[in-house]
Amino acid sequence: MTPLQFEELYQSDWDELQATLNLMLGRTAGISVTRSTFSSARVATLYRRTCGHLALARSRCYPSYLIERLEELTAEAHQVIYQRREFGRLWLKQIVAVDFPVAVRTNLFFVAVAAAVFLIPAIVTGVVMYERPELILSMVSAETAASFQEMYSPTADSIGRTRTASTDWMMFGLYIRNNIGVAFQCFAGGLFAGLGALFFLAYNGAFAGALAGFLTERGLSSTFYSFVATHSAFELTAIVLSGAAGLKIGFALVAPGRLLRLQALVQATQECAVLLYGVIVMLLVAAAVEAFWSSAAWLPASVKYGTAAVCWTAVFAYFSMQGRRAN
Amino acid sequence: MILDTVVTAETPEGMVLELRPAGLSARFYAFALDWAIRLALLQATAVTITLMGGLGVAFWLILIFALEWFYPVVFELTAAAATPGKRVFGLKVVMDNGLPVTPASSLSRNLLRAADFLPFAYGFAIFSMLLRRDCKRLGDLAAATLVVHQPRTVPRIARDNDILPIAPSMPLVPAHQAAVIALAARVPTLTAERLDELAALAAKVSGDSGRSGPHVTRRVLGVAQWVLGRRS
Repeated sequence: MTPLQFEELYQSDWDELQATLNLMLGRTAGISVTRSTFSSARVATLYRRTCGHLALARSRCYPSYLIERLEELTAEAHQVIYQRREFGRLWLKQIVAVDFPVAVRTNLFFVAVAAAVFLIPAIVTGVVMYERPELILSMVSAETAASFQEMYSPTADSIGRTRTASTDWMMFGLYIRNNIGVAFQCFAGGLFAGLGALFFLAYNGAFAGALAGFLTERGLSSTFYSFVATHSAFELTAIVLSGAAGLKIGFALVAPGRLLRLQALVQATQECAVLLYGVIVMLLVAAAVEAFWSSAAWLPASVKYGTAAVCWTAVFAYFSMQGRRAN
Repeated sequence: MILDTVVTAETPEGMVLELRPAGLSARFYAFALDWAIRLALLQATAVTITLMGGLGVAFWLILIFALEWFYPVVFELTAAAATPGKRVFGLKVVMDNGLPVTPASSLSRNLLRAADFLPFAYGFAIFSMLLRRDCKRLGDLAAATLVVHQPRTVPRIARDNDILPIAPSMPLVPAHQAAVIALAARVPTLTAERLDELAALAAKVSGDSGRSGPHVTRRVLGVAQWVLGRRS
């Protein structure tokens, strides 16, 4: 069979496949296939047939333009047929109900290390700042230190708000932009053998600890702790979890086990994805709570501590119990 | 070929896909365009924000955040698998086994952008892309993705009834057949003189070694028609 005969014989199949692909990709060019004549089984048949034609064309050394056209057609069909559509309600439910808490438990080692790297500097700087509050000036400028004091003073009509921000909504925007960025940095830093993740965890831990120690010494503990107690259940956990994800990919590079370093890295990154989905949601929740609940000065501290206790219990219960049966 | 950067991936149907990784310059242009689009979007919304007060500022800050981290993710998960900038320069993101990019990989490669950005101005990304044959940045390495050139349409050659098919004077292996056909496909884009020069290089196929000129060119193109399948 000559290439031209081959082309004439199977042209209609290729045109039909091309037209169907155009329809599926939302293009309008080419022969129109209407939705009524469209069927997935037909696409699969045409695709397999065209793959066969391509193999024939290659083995018979048909001209390159024909082979390239078939390559292009099958490659496009391959992309369409294997496209993953995983964002359904079932997918979401699976992640929330099973995958996320299970991923946290399977990576408990990294979570524990990340928590330690975050908490130990926090406690150390907290104690140091409480003993010698003037040291805060070695971390931030005098003006920033003064604005911290002002933000958490009991007379402020909205706690934790910078002077330039006029509303809770504005703070919500700020929290999303800054805090989620910090968490993402903790994850991305893990790519440098985990050192970046360790650094960002320790740095943010030290900063939070310093702030707490300084404000406690200044006698603002009641406003400060009632402010941070609730949203920290989500925010600190999420930062620790994204740091844990960073440590996991860093560890895969340092100790790849029986895989190549690159393979180990790819595998660890894939396993981290579900942690990242969860972290993003937790940080959004944290930002909303921080902006609208924690900052409300009219709420009595006891109500805030009560809510905080509920939130912390819920977060720990979720990570320790949820999804055990399904697994 | 030694110079070629083609990455091959085999599909379950037994096909071998050829992926052509996009190099630093193409990706830089795409990035610059995406950057400009994002900047323009922020500028445009900034005008309306000033009228809306605190709520507007919140919206704007969230928009900055979303554009910074999720602009690429959202576009990479569409059918085109490319941000507008990449689409303009004919690039797309795929998994390195040729499959469409998965949500998990798209998210990871874009969050790891923060690592690629270090030490400054995407230093590690550039370093990694220049060193690697498949031009992956660190995020691509970890997420097992690849930025490839969209396959371009191949110039076609049709039956040309003005040219008589001529049987080749020697057995032609597939690569030689492909070369002769490729020459015929380039006829519309070449000047007559250049075509003659190129045809002279291939003159062996029609038994005209050492000769050149429009006559030889017609005979070489005749071989191309014969290889295509025309016999008379």
